[in-house]
Amino acid sequence: MQTAHTVEHAHAHDTHEEHHHHEETFLTKYIFSQDHKMIGKQFLITGIFWGIVGGLLSVLFRLQLGWPNETFPFLETFLGKWAEGGKISNEFYYALVTMHGTILVFFVLTGGLSGTFANLLIPYQIGARDMASPFINMLSYWFFLAAGVVMLFSFFVQTGPASGGWTAYPPLNGLRDTSVNLGSGIGFDLWILGMSLFIVSALLGGLNYVATVLNMRTKGMTMMKLPLTVWALMFTAVIGILSFPALLAGAVLLEFDRLLDTSFYLNNIIINGQLLGYKGGSPILFQHLFWFLGHPEVYIIILPAMGLVSEVLSVHSRKPIFGYKAMVLSIIAILVLSFIVWAHHMFVTGLNPNLGAIFTLFTLLIAIPSAIKVFNWIGTIWRGKVRLSSAALFAIGFVSMFITGGLTGIALGNSAIDIQLHDTMFVVAHFHIVMGVAAFFGMFAGVYHWFPRMYGKYMNETLGQIHFYITLVGAYAIFFPMHFMTGLPRRYYTYANFETFNNFDSLAAFISVAAIIVFLGQLVFVVNFFYSIFKGRELKGEKKADGYEYANPWGSTTMEWTAPIDRLHGNWPNEIPAVHRWPYDFNVNGKEFIQQTEPLKPGETEHS
Amino acid sequence: MEVTLSEKDILKQKTEYTGVHPQKFALWLAMASMTMFFAALTSALLVKKGDFRAWENFRLPNVFLFSTITVVGVSATIHAALICYRKTKFAAFRWLMFASFVLAVLFLVLQLIGWLNLQAMGMTLTGTISASFIYLITAAHGAHIAGGLVVMLIFLVFAVKERNDPLYELRDIINPKRQLNLEMLASYWHFVDIVWVYLYIFFVMNYQ
Repeated sequence: MQTAHTVEHAHAHDTHEEHHHHEETFLTKYIFSQDHKMIGKQFLITGIFWGIVGGLLSVLFRLQLGWPNETFPFLETFLGKWAEGGKISNEFYYALVTMHGTILVFFVLTGGLSGTFANLLIPYQIGARDMASPFINMLSYWFFLAAGVVMLFSFFVQTGPASGGWTAYPPLNGLRDTSVNLGSGIGFDLWILGMSLFIVSALLGGLNYVATVLNMRTKGMTMMKLPLTVWALMFTAVIGILSFPALLAGAVLLEFDRLLDTSFYLNNIIINGQLLGYKGGSPILFQHLFWFLGHPEVYIIILPAMGLVSEVLSVHSRKPIFGYKAMVLSIIAILVLSFIVWAHHMFVTGLNPNLGAIFTLFTLLIAIPSAIKVFNWIGTIWRGKVRLSSAALFAIGFVSMFITGGLTGIALGNSAIDIQLHDTMFVVAHFHIVMGVAAFFGMFAGVYHWFPRMYGKYMNETLGQIHFYITLVGAYAIFFPMHFMTGLPRRYYTYANFETFNNFDSLAAFISVAAIIVFLGQLVFVVNFFYSIFKGRELKGEKKADGYEYANPWGSTTMEWTAPIDRLHGNWPNEIPAVHRWPYDFNVNGKEFIQQTEPLKPGETEHS
Repeated sequence: MEVTLSEKDILKQKTEYTGVHPQKFALWLAMASMTMFFAALTSALLVKKGDFRAWENFRLPNVFLFSTITVVGVSATIHAALICYRKTKFAAFRWLMFASFVLAVLFLVLQLIGWLNLQAMGMTLTGTISASFIYLITAAHGAHIAGGLVVMLIFLVFAVKERNDPLYELRDIINPKRQLNLEMLASYWHFVDIVWVYLYIFFVMNYQ
């Protein structure tokens, strides 16, 4: 090993004199970093920022939904003309709903989740020194940041940010006329620009993730020895690579309509009695292009969470994952099915009912791999010695949320039922639980579990538990009652004109109170996270002959804990260890766990 | 004992699993992504053509046939350039790269003439949706060509600038980074050329 080290040194000396005495400056280490671990942290912290913004937007519109007749004078202080007299204006309400969706779906649960954990875990867990192209990886973060800056900027233009729904449907969003919708002005152009930058970021990142997993695994790391996190993150990237281009195509057509007056989506539009010149377009075309990304997008969000949860549950219950191969096959099945179900978002567009039946069938088929995964997670913790750490609690919470939200998915996947429930609070409850809250739980499980890997410190466990219970109870308090707000349409500014919905007033106020508490509960996490970076309990390990300190705080089998606590660029100071066994050897041969890098003993057979 | 690794060191890692350099592999994935982009655009056209009774049909200007021939020419010359490079015939390599560059620029000029011809036929960008699609798709493809042109130009500039240094290209053969980049550039061009041939056939079939 010492020889390999010297060779590496000599090589660095030969070709790049400046690398040998390379002094990392603040700029190269923290800002323009090409190190996968640092880029992962950049994604995470940017994601946390967006999580706070997106959550705050929902608190604002919950104020309106919970107490539509009250005024909150402090709102006018902060929001000015958007909340005159302390009441959020209807234009701004729609902007809040739109931007809440955009920010949480793309900037937190796609960029923040995949970006963080694919960057952190893929090289570490497959035994690679970095991504296939560290430079492109850096660009991926910078495009992500630029996308965010554009989105943030759009809040400060005179006509406000995009307000035509996060799905950006034309014709509402196809015209730049602000007399129809304030947010259809420059705000929506910035939305398209921001989303295009975001798509570039997701693609650059995704190419790297897949190329890295397929090409750069360490010796002995066959595909079937990969931890489920890596499987999930890789297939997430594959979905992104194949589906984001469709959204980009849809967005390009939309901007052509808006800026160059083409009619891809517009037809016979009449505004103020004036017939506009658009002819022959179809708004449904946009829905097809949008949902060809939009549906796979929900798996882009949930698959990484599934991967993280599989790993966390196995490690913290000290048991091998139940049904490893079934887990991998389920991920592949979800990937394939995710591309052929998009029209289940479009059952009320006049879709041919026969076609609807086919999409219903494919949609319901997704229940099979999903149920297999749920069964396997329960099988994993069943009779395990579960350590109820914050990470494990959030992983278990994920399974709970995924079951609750999944069950309503079966109802909504049927076109006959969906036509009744379309655009009601039932749908809001379904997707928030199954992909919003659940994905957040997976992300939190991952952050608590891998925080020591990222920063060499622990997060505070007590605060973690408080965070968990507030979030679990609070999230159910917010979204469970929504199932029973029968027929209540979503996205409405006020229901005052509908006698029939009067009886939901107190329930709406209850949901709003719960939303505010859950939002404050997340601040516990934010404080814990940043406090722990600087003042958290130190991760202690043993010093080995090479002078580096090594630690394996959770007793994991995977490769990320075979690297020193110090986050070196290149991860391992010596040769990368080879892999000899699958990643879930818990409680075998009389040992509590055996790391992947440990050779098989004589007479021991490989897990298959 | 701080070991700081350059990108090159990191890439010394094995590529035995797929037998392909990871960056080349990433380029292939990018091609899959770009394929989906053009598939989305052309299927949008088909959907529109199918549901819009007033779809206005017209004959594609002939100039697009010439641009197709030109773009196939780029593929041929850049492939020949790559072969010359491998055989260390650097003078021929530079000329072939120059020829590829000229042909690629010519392609964009011909596309522009195609647009002017469409205008002359009365098929403006906003006039009818069937024409809008041609402008849109050729513009999207042209943007991909322009991106390839920039990289090609960088290659050419270095090749010409260092032409008197007998070691410049040779050193790069011993150290295969430049050859890898050239191979990736050539595959990218083959890709955008094939995309155009597909688009041309697609247009001919849908506009008569």
